[in-house]
Amino acid sequence: MQSAEKAMPFDSLPQGTETPDVNQGGSWFRIVESVWSKFSVTRYTGVFLVMPALFFLAVWFLWPVLSMIASSLSAHNVNGTMVEGFTFENYMRLFSSDLYFRILLRTIRVALLTSLCAAIFAYPLAIAIARGGPPLARLVTITILAPLLVNVVVRSYGWQTILNKTGALAWALKQVGITNPPVLLYTEWAVLIACVHVYLPFMVMPLASAIARIDRTVEEAAQVAGATRIRVFLRVIFPLSLPGLAVGASLVFSLSSAAYVTPQVLGGNFSPLLGTLIEQQILTLNDWPFGAAISTLLIAMVLAVNLIFLKLVNRHFARWTETAR
Amino acid sequence: MTQTISPLLKIVVGIILLIVVAPLIVPLLMSISDTTYIVFPPKGFTLKWYAAVLANPEAQDSFLFSLKLAGIVTAVSLILGIPCAVGLTRFKVPGQDMVLGIILSPLIVPLIVTGVALLQLFSIMGSRATMLQLVIGHTVVCLPYVIRSVSASFVLINRNLEDAASVLGAAPHVVATKVVWPQVRPGILAGGIFCFIVSFDDYPISMWLADGNHFPIPLYLYTVIERSFDPSIAAIASLMIFFALLLVLVIEKVFGISLARLAS
Repeated sequence: MQSAEKAMPFDSLPQGTETPDVNQGGSWFRIVESVWSKFSVTRYTGVFLVMPALFFLAVWFLWPVLSMIASSLSAHNVNGTMVEGFTFENYMRLFSSDLYFRILLRTIRVALLTSLCAAIFAYPLAIAIARGGPPLARLVTITILAPLLVNVVVRSYGWQTILNKTGALAWALKQVGITNPPVLLYTEWAVLIACVHVYLPFMVMPLASAIARIDRTVEEAAQVAGATRIRVFLRVIFPLSLPGLAVGASLVFSLSSAAYVTPQVLGGNFSPLLGTLIEQQILTLNDWPFGAAISTLLIAMVLAVNLIFLKLVNRHFARWTETAR
Repeated sequence: MTQTISPLLKIVVGIILLIVVAPLIVPLLMSISDTTYIVFPPKGFTLKWYAAVLANPEAQDSFLFSLKLAGIVTAVSLILGIPCAVGLTRFKVPGQDMVLGIILSPLIVPLIVTGVALLQLFSIMGSRATMLQLVIGHTVVCLPYVIRSVSASFVLINRNLEDAASVLGAAPHVVATKVVWPQVRPGILAGGIFCFIVSFDDYPISMWLADGNHFPIPLYLYTVIERSFDPSIAAIASLMIFFALLLVLVIEKVFGISLARLAS
């Protein structure tokens, strides 16, 4: 307890705070205390405390992930056993085969469109949370976050019941006279719709906190100066919320590019993403090096997007948002 | 405070919220349909699908197994996570940034990839201890959340209160239990609850590590969706939605933690 050495004036204790009962504990506690105080001055206490968790994650996360990356680069002979050597062959397969390359492109497309659509839906919600009165903000927050507690399998299934041939959407369209609507289930559209729904909260929350940080007087000044609401949004709220958008977009891109359950339930075998490809290569075809290569590519994609969004956008807009304030 | 939300925006927000809850409401409606197939709008009224699901031993086993797994994972994550958070926030740790980077790195790598990597490691090791593998896999995912949540609550502590208590003569253990604990309790609770939910709902780790005898409820739900078409799936989905609602109520009312805090 290093801070105890710095004596603070008594009046720094806030009014109404319960004063701790200081006279508890007998000699036993004094012994513990003296041992503790000797122990705590050592420079290694922090290291001891951090070690178990750090060791756990090093052994069960860093090691497996790094060795998987290594195995994606290691050569293997015709019957699949690994041999000494270094190769990019597993990666070349992903780009040379039309089937695999299409899956890669589809994954990037779905992840980008999901981020874009999520942003479009998230802005009204985020503004309602940040600028609406407490009842509205609370209603929106709960309605957006509560589905996170519902299992992703159930949420994806929910969309199946809506997009099905005998589902809610077909019924609703029939009521307004559209009798032969296109069936969305098991198409890329269904995957996109459900992904936007599943990952929307990860866009709304960073946006809402970014918008909440914008000084209201800036908006009011714009309004007083005669700007319409749309103009206030485009010239004030949108540019100042870009850091939040960057966080949200990189989260949604990362999550949707690695999605497995939602594309399986809504896309079936007709529009698999990289997640499905990894599962097939490893569990069905037992092609570990290729599965490892796809996994490594997925990590690289996610890392690249995170770095590009967070670093570049922050660097370019941090100064801007500072001066705009 | 000036009203800054236009009525038009309110309508748009209302429509989006309806779309957000629609996939949770429609299964509820379909689960009471007295037909042997899924149809909207539901025809007739019956609760037999719920009875069928609740009496299904496979569903019961998976549900109980997931509760047990999530409980163990939460305990392990808290035991490893709380000391780590204390060390990171209250003591000097050499290479602090690198340590933090390693600890938070499982949040960046896609879960499905973490799962594959662990499966590869376990099969190289020749491990057959499925339960242990699942606990390890889930803890890798949950631990960073716990450390982040608990660290945040230690950072937010008002250090003046501790100093005041010490100056007034409180022993360190008194300071810890009467001054520090009440301030960090919500963060630890939030971390633990979030950890439980992440483990209970996990699919992308379990899909690699589970086997027939250790079959968490998300995997069970997925196989049911794949193989059957009667309203009993809608009934299971509805039960899971009710369970989530119950969780929301418990979190907000009993523990007094807002959902927004849990997600942050």
